[in-house]
Amino acid sequence: MVFILQRNFKDARLVKVLPPPPSTHIPQLTGPFPLCQKCLETFYGVGPELSARLMARYYIHPTAKVGSLVDKQILDLNADLSTMNIENNLRRQLRDNIKRLRDMGTYRGRRHAMGLPVRGQRTRTQTATAAKLNMIERKG
Amino acid sequence: MSFRPCWRCFLRASDLSTSIWQPSPARLSASAAPFSTSTSSLTNASADRSTAFRAKVFNLKKEKPKNDVRAKRPAPGERKAYRKRIILSNTNALPIYGMEDFTVENMCKQESKGMVLGIPGNNVDQLRAVEAFKPTQAWGMFRRPGMLVRNETVEYAKLLEELQSQGKSLRRVLVGERGSGKSVMVLQAMTMAFLKGWTVINIPEAQELIIGHYDYAPLSGSSPLLFIQKSYTARLLSQISRSNPQLETLRLSSTPPSNFPIPIPANISLARLAGLGASDPEIAWPVFQLLISELTLPNSSIAADDQKRPPLLFTLDSLANAMKDQTAYMTASFKPIHAHDLTLLKTFMDYLSGASPLPNGGLILAATSASNPPPNPSLDLALAKLETHSASQSSAPSPDPYNPSPATPNPFYTYDQRVMDIFEGPNGGQVEVQRLPGLSKEEAKGLMEYWAKSGILRQDVDERLVGEKWSLSGGGIVGELERGCIRMRI
Repeated sequence: MVFILQRNFKDARLVKVLPPPPSTHIPQLTGPFPLCQKCLETFYGVGPELSARLMARYYIHPTAKVGSLVDKQILDLNADLSTMNIENNLRRQLRDNIKRLRDMGTYRGRRHAMGLPVRGQRTRTQTATAAKLNMIERKG
Repeated sequence: MSFRPCWRCFLRASDLSTSIWQPSPARLSASAAPFSTSTSSLTNASADRSTAFRAKVFNLKKEKPKNDVRAKRPAPGERKAYRKRIILSNTNALPIYGMEDFTVENMCKQESKGMVLGIPGNNVDQLRAVEAFKPTQAWGMFRRPGMLVRNETVEYAKLLEELQSQGKSLRRVLVGERGSGKSVMVLQAMTMAFLKGWTVINIPEAQELIIGHYDYAPLSGSSPLLFIQKSYTARLLSQISRSNPQLETLRLSSTPPSNFPIPIPANISLARLAGLGASDPEIAWPVFQLLISELTLPNSSIAADDQKRPPLLFTLDSLANAMKDQTAYMTASFKPIHAHDLTLLKTFMDYLSGASPLPNGGLILAATSASNPPPNPSLDLALAKLETHSASQSSAPSPDPYNPSPATPNPFYTYDQRVMDIFEGPNGGQVEVQRLPGLSKEEAKGLMEYWAKSGILRQDVDERLVGEKWSLSGGGIVGELERGCIRMRI
């Protein structure tokens, strides 16, 4: 078990979700197999690009498992991640942005508050995503 | 009391009792018949059956336990092991009595041409240890592994003999069509080298080194920055120590550098040294460096009582992968690492280009792969130039309609100077390019007779069949010949 940013990961997990294989003759993995094994990208705000850069910074190869990281790499990753604007900080920033729009009384802020599409989409049908996500206290 | 008349037959009700419309029970059931195709005698039975069926369905649901057994998932690594396993024997194949083995004597005889010779048992173990066999090759179809002695095999046998006796070194790249036997040629060279007591180092597939499946780390103190692959180096060291028994007798003759990570006893055997590196990936790279420098020490500088260093055979398959300018590894500043900045590949490239000498003689042999190689215009151009250069002295190369002038740079391509320097640099220019042609008809006949004797090819091997298969296989391309005769038999 390895702790990264107060979150524990099983040793057999890959550090990063694998990109699709470049050659077309290799069958694509279907199902949740690669997605469930990612580690860095479980943090809100760390995506494919940032995780690849992070791994390059500490010379972690693309198919590395969490258990194969040496202590220094884990410490470095922790130190780096803790200075980044990710997880709750990033969520707070998002909420602040929406709140600011709302406080200014803008149309966008109002649409967020009403749980309706913000960018001019139709509302007759297909507003499930907006209804699910758009709110003043948006989750992420 | 008056009765209403029947409106159909105009009979009075009193007469209805005798009329044909009297609704007797038998008539009733018969009158129902026109709406059903089943006979009335079956009506009761069918009713019984439907209720029984209903009851049965109900019971079935109740009684049958839920079938929750799912297929067992393969254990980690099981699928890869299945994919990579090498089968070298098949008890269903007929044994061939009187089949000779590869020996130092018969492999360079002209009479052996066109014969299939067996690989001696202990060589099989050595070749397996250096991963010379590939899962795509058809070893698993025969009773024991055997190889065709083709024209080039005899040439290689003579070449190795010459290199050993004169202490010379040669650097060579094998090219050829897909299935023309490049990898098996490397395997044959390794077999000969083992028989002659050479030291053999083999990188079985360069792709493994560049696709990011092994760990990597910067090599401290290197400029420009190089990268080591510790676990692969440890694997390679284990491969070397398992396959080269003569390393037991060779002793460390130089003192290790002052910054060597572990204290090692003086006069340690090279096999033990390789074993140390194999067991600990952290020290694998310095151990590999020391081992290579020991193996290439000039025999003149070795003490008289110490064993002389044998020639070295260093081989690599799938050369185009080793020439890639972008590997899956990244620098800290997120730039792709050049394949030649990986220390293991750099070591090989230094020998191939001639930057590192082989004072005790040896052969550096690289094979290109024609099965799904990465596009590499620089390598293609460099090899085409060398090939045209050597061909102009003997015969013109066969024209390729899709690329009439492969040895001329294409203005729309960018070429990698580091790759070109291997072949054209200050030390380069001496790399030989050998194109493997198809088998001759005599060789094809020998091979097909071997297949027939093994019970796989069930036809009379005569001139007609050999000619037909030889033509269908693009002029004796051995992989196609194999496919046409023993893989895709209909």
